[in-house]
Amino acid sequence: MSEPTAEPFLRTLAPLLKGLERQLRQWLDARRRYPVTLVQRAEIEGLADDYHRKSSSLDVDRPLLVIMLMGGTGVGKSSLLNALAGAPVAQASFTRPTTRDPVVYFHQSVKSERLDPALRLCRFAQHDREALLQKVIVDTPDLDSNDLINREKLKELLPVADVVLYVGSQEKYHDQIGWDLFKEQRKRRAFAFVLNKWDRCLDAGVGLRPDEDLLKDLNAEGFENPKLFRTTAQLWIDAEKAGQDVPADLPEGEQFRELRNWLEAGLSRLEIEAVKSRGVSQLVEQSERVIESVKPPDLSVQAARVRTTWEAVLTTEAEQQAEVLVSTLEPYQQEVEHHFSVQGQQRFWGLMAGYLRVTTKFRYFSTSLKDRLPFTPKLSGAISTPDDWNLTEFVQSCSRTAAERVLTQRLSALSNKLLVEADQKGMPLNLLNDQTTEATRLQWEERYTRGLVDALGQVEQEVTKPTGWRRLVRGGITWLANSVPTVTLLGSIGLVLYQVFVEGVVPSLVLLLLPLYLTLGVLIVFHVIITVALPVRWASIRDDFRSRLGLRLQTEFEQVFLPIPDAVATAVREERKQVEAIAAETREVAAWLREREQAAHIGELYGR
Amino acid sequence: MEPQTHRATARQLAEDLGWLEEHCRKHPELTEHAAHLRLAGALTRNVIGPAVDGQPAKPLFVAVVGGAGAGKSTVVNFLAGSVVADANPQAGFTRHPTAFLPATLGGAWPSHLGFLGPLQRLSDEKPANLDEDVYQVKRIPTSVGDPLADVVIWDCPDMTTWASAGYVSRLMEVVALADIVVYVASDERYNDIVPTQFLHLMIQAGKAVVCCLTKVREVNEEAMIADFRAKIIGQLPVSVGEIPAVPVMAIPWLADDVRKDLAGLGAKYRVGLLNQILALCPSPEIARQRTLTNAVKYLESAGNGLLDVARRDLTEFDDWRATVNVGRSQFEERYRREYLSGEAFRRFDRTTEQVQEMLELPGPGKVVSSGLALLRLPYKYAREFLGKTLTRPASLNLSEQTVCSSAMVSWLDALQAEALRRSGTNTLWKQVTHGFDAGLKAQANDLFAKNYHTFELKETDELDQAARAVPERLTNSPILLSGLRVGTVALDLAAVVAVIVFTWPPGWALLLILPAVSITRQLVELLVKFAVDRGRNKLRAKRESLLSEQLTGPVATWLGDWPSSGGSSLEKLQLVLRRVPDAIRELSGLARPAPALTSLPPAAVPQP
Repeated sequence: MSEPTAEPFLRTLAPLLKGLERQLRQWLDARRRYPVTLVQRAEIEGLADDYHRKSSSLDVDRPLLVIMLMGGTGVGKSSLLNALAGAPVAQASFTRPTTRDPVVYFHQSVKSERLDPALRLCRFAQHDREALLQKVIVDTPDLDSNDLINREKLKELLPVADVVLYVGSQEKYHDQIGWDLFKEQRKRRAFAFVLNKWDRCLDAGVGLRPDEDLLKDLNAEGFENPKLFRTTAQLWIDAEKAGQDVPADLPEGEQFRELRNWLEAGLSRLEIEAVKSRGVSQLVEQSERVIESVKPPDLSVQAARVRTTWEAVLTTEAEQQAEVLVSTLEPYQQEVEHHFSVQGQQRFWGLMAGYLRVTTKFRYFSTSLKDRLPFTPKLSGAISTPDDWNLTEFVQSCSRTAAERVLTQRLSALSNKLLVEADQKGMPLNLLNDQTTEATRLQWEERYTRGLVDALGQVEQEVTKPTGWRRLVRGGITWLANSVPTVTLLGSIGLVLYQVFVEGVVPSLVLLLLPLYLTLGVLIVFHVIITVALPVRWASIRDDFRSRLGLRLQTEFEQVFLPIPDAVATAVREERKQVEAIAAETREVAAWLREREQAAHIGELYGR
Repeated sequence: MEPQTHRATARQLAEDLGWLEEHCRKHPELTEHAAHLRLAGALTRNVIGPAVDGQPAKPLFVAVVGGAGAGKSTVVNFLAGSVVADANPQAGFTRHPTAFLPATLGGAWPSHLGFLGPLQRLSDEKPANLDEDVYQVKRIPTSVGDPLADVVIWDCPDMTTWASAGYVSRLMEVVALADIVVYVASDERYNDIVPTQFLHLMIQAGKAVVCCLTKVREVNEEAMIADFRAKIIGQLPVSVGEIPAVPVMAIPWLADDVRKDLAGLGAKYRVGLLNQILALCPSPEIARQRTLTNAVKYLESAGNGLLDVARRDLTEFDDWRATVNVGRSQFEERYRREYLSGEAFRRFDRTTEQVQEMLELPGPGKVVSSGLALLRLPYKYAREFLGKTLTRPASLNLSEQTVCSSAMVSWLDALQAEALRRSGTNTLWKQVTHGFDAGLKAQANDLFAKNYHTFELKETDELDQAARAVPERLTNSPILLSGLRVGTVALDLAAVVAVIVFTWPPGWALLLILPAVSITRQLVELLVKFAVDRGRNKLRAKRESLLSEQLTGPVATWLGDWPSSGGSSLEKLQLVLRRVPDAIRELSGLARPAPALTSLPPAAVPQP
C-alpha cells in the first residue's frame, strides 16, 4: 500500500464538493414551477450543508477523523471515553441523563479552529497521545431520555461524525430509538459497535446472548462482519484509580483493549483517508438518490396531447359564446340593418343618395324612438343605444351585458374544464392551475367587443363589397340607379320646357310637376330593385356573423390558452435539464471517487 | 339500565374504539392517539365489560411492566415467592404476556366474552418469545396464607426494543386489565422517554401503580428515588390534574444467588414490594371498584380527546360540502341569469286573452260588445301598428335544458378541479379524485337526468296551474265575474253618455265617442295585464325554489354525502363518532366514589 497518493487526492475533492454545493444552493434559490415537497427541499438543504462541511474538513493537510459515541442514556458512553482517556474527562454519574454538553477529546497540537463549527461549542478535553493525533473522539448526549433537547444536540452533531461508535448495554442494545437512528445514518457514515457492561450479558438464559443477538441483527442489516467490541468500561476506570494496568477480574471475552488498539493503531493514516473518502462517496451516492427523486418528468408528449384536447374544448366554447353574443344582439337587429343600409348607400350619389337618405331616416325613425318613449316595452338588462349611431359604443354595451349575464361565469367554468381535461391527459392540474386561472381574469370584455366589431366589419365588407356575379349585378344596378333618375329628371324638365316654349302648351300644374313625379317614380322603382336584389336583412347575415364571430373568439381563446401547456412543459423541461446537469456532475464525482477507492481495512465498518 | 343493554353497549364501544385506533394507524400524524385509543378499548373490554357482566372481584390482577432488561422477571419472582420466570439477557426476548395463577385460586380463570380482546390463550406451554397474539397461563404453587393468594401476576413484554412495535398492543391489553401495575425501571432506564410515556399513560388511566427502581446502588438509593419523583412523576402531563400518590421503592443490583433465594436473602425486597401492593388494595372488592371507576373516569375525561382524531377528517368533509354548495349556488345563479331572466312565459299571453274574453258580455249582451268593438277598431289598428314598430324582438333565450345541463357540467368540472387541486393534502380529496376516475361524473349525471325529468314535469304542472289561476278564480265566483262584466260595460256606457252629454247637441263632436271607449278599454286591459303579470312574477320566484328543491338540492345532497357513502371509512367514522360519546355517557353510571390512591408510610409496614 503506497501512502503518498492519498494526500493530494483528498484535497482535490474539496473544490469538487464545493462546486456541487454551489449547484445545489442555486437550485434551492431558483424559482421553480414543478412542485417540490418540503421533505425533498429539506433533504437538498441537508446535502448542501454536508457538502460544505466535508469540503472544508478535507481542505487541509491532515484531515481529522471524528469518532462519535452514540447510545442511550446510562449505557456508559462517558465511562467509555474516560476509560479510553485514562482520566475523568467526561462526567459520569448515576443520575440520568448525565451528559448534557458533548465532550470533544483531541490532541493538543490540533487547533480548535480546525474543528468543525458544530464541535467548537462543546467542552474540550485535550491530550498528548501521538497515536490519537489525527482522531477526535466525541462523547454525545443521550438519545432516549425525557430531555428531548439532548436528542436534538446529538442530531446536530451527527453530521460531523466520520465513524459512529454505537454503544449499547445489555438493556439497551436492542432499543428502538437508537436502532432507528442507526438505520437512518448507516448509509452515511462508518459504524462500529460497542456492547458495554459486558459483565451483565453473561447470565445464562433461554434466549440468545446479547452480542450474538446484536450480530444477528447487524447481519440482517447488511453488516456481514461488523466490528463489535464487548467492553466493561467501569472495570478499567476502577483499575486506573487503583493504579492497576489491567483490571483483576475481567469477564471472559472482554475486549476493551482491542477497542483501544483499534482506535490507536487500527485506524492508521491510510484507514483515515479511506474512511474520509468513503464518507464522501456515501454522501455523493445519497445525493444521487435525492437528486433523482426531485427530477421533474418530461411532459412534452403530455403537453401536445393536452393541446389537442384543449383545441377541441376551445372550439366548442367559442361557438357557444358566439351564439350567446349574437343572441344578445337580437333585439337590436333593426339598428344593425340600419347600419348596413347606411354603409351600403355610400356608393350612391346624386338624387338616388338623397332619396335613400330620406327614406332610410323615415324607415328607421322608430329605432331612435324605442328607447326614448316612456311606454314602450323595455328589455331587462337593456343596452343603451347611443343617440347618434355609433357601432363601437353599441357593441361595447352589448358585450358588457353578455359578459355580465353569461360569459364571466362561463369563463371560470371553462378554466375548470380545461384543467380537468389536462389532468386526465397526464399534466398535473397544479402545474397549469395558476396560469389558466389567470388567463380567465384577463380583460375579456374588451376582447369580446373587439371580436364583435371585427366580425361585424367582415360581414359588412362582404355585404357592401360583394364578389362574383353579385358584384356585376350590383355594379349595374348602382350605375343605373345613379344615372337614370338624373337623366329622367333632366329629360322630363327638357320635355316640359319643350312643350311650353316650343309647342306653346299652356302650362298646367300636372305638366309642371311632371319631372317631379316621374323622377320620384323612377327612384321608387330603383329602390324596390335595390331592396330585392341586394337585401340587407338581419336573418340573412345572422349565421354568417355568428360563424365569423365564433372563429374570431376561437382565435382569441387559442392565443391565450393554447400556449400554456407548452410553456409549462418547456419550463419543466428546463428544470429537468438543470437537475440532470447536477446529477451528471454528481455522477462524475462518484465515478472519480470509485476509481481511487483505497485498499484499506475499513470494509467491516460499512453494511451493504 | 339493564345489564343486558350495558353489555351490548360495552361490546360495541370496545369495537368502535378498536376501529378508531385502526383508523389512526393509517394516518401517520395520528399515531400518537392510537395508544390512547388502544388503552380505552382495552379498558372497555377488560374492566367495564366484566363489571357489567357481573364477574367477581377475585382474582385481582397485577401486571409487571418495564423496558427491556429492567428486571421484570426478577420482580415477578419476588411477587410469586418462587422462581417462576426466567431472567433473560436477550433484550426483548419475551413477546407475549404470561399469567401466573396461584394454586390457591383452584384454576378459576375469567371466562368473560371478549376478555383480553384479540389475545388467544395458549393451551400448552410455549417459550416466551412466541411472537403471536396469545397469552399463556402458568400455575404457581402458592400457599393459602400468602398475601397474594388471590392475585394473578402478569409478566409482560417490554415496550422499548425495536421489535416492540409489533407486540406493544398485547402489553396494553394486559395493563388495561390490571388492578395494580408494577412499573419496573432500572438505574439505566428510569429517565427513558418511551417507558416514561407509558407510565404517564397508566397514571392518566387511573391505574394503581407501584414503581420499582432496580439495579440501584444502595448508596444512591434515596437520591435516585428523589430524582425519579422529581423528573418522572413530577412531570406528568397537565391534563392529569391532581397527581395521585405513586409509591416508589428501590431494589439494588442483585447477584444471581440473591435473586433466586426468595425465602432467604431476597426476602426483604419481597416484603417491601408486597407491602406497597397490599397498601393499595385493602380488599379485592375495593381495589376492583377503584379499577372500574377510574376506567370509566378515564373514558369520560379522555372521551373528547379520543374523538379528536376524527376532527380533521370531518373538517375536510365540511370543506367538501361547502365546495359542493358553492357549486350549487353557481348553478342556481346561472339558471337565474341565463334562463329565468330572459324567459317571458308566453303561456300567460293566452291567459290575458282568455280573461279579456271572459269579461265580454254573454248572450244578448254580445250585441253591445260587438258594437263597442266596432267603435274601437281604429284605435286597435293604430295600436297594433305602433306596437310592431316600437317593440324590439326578444333576444333568443337558451333553452332551459341547455342551460341546466351545461351548468351541471361546470359544477362537476369545478368539483373535480378542486379535488385534484387538493388531492395531495387529505385522503378525502384523494378519495373524491379516485371517485371521479371511477365514474362519479356519470353517476351524478344520471341522478341529474332523473331529477331533471321530475323537475320538468313539476314545472309544466306549475306553469299550467299558475296560468289558469286567474281565469279559474273568475269562473269559480260568478258574482265577481258578473260584477266585473257589469262594471266594464257600465264604464263603457258611462263614457258614451258622458261624451253625448258634454257635446250636446249632436254633431261632429260625437266622434269623440271613439277615443272615449278606447280609453276605457285600455284601462281594463291594463288592469288585466297587471293581474296576470303578478302571476307571472310569482311563478318566476316559485320556479327558482322549485329548481332548488327538485334539482340542485337532491344533487347537492348526493354529492355532499358521496364521500361518506358506499361503506367508506367516513361513513363509519360518522357513525362511530355518534355512538362513542353516547356509550361513554351510558356506562358512566358504573363509576362510584373510590378510595383515593395512597401509599403507606414506611413505618407502618406489617410483617407477613
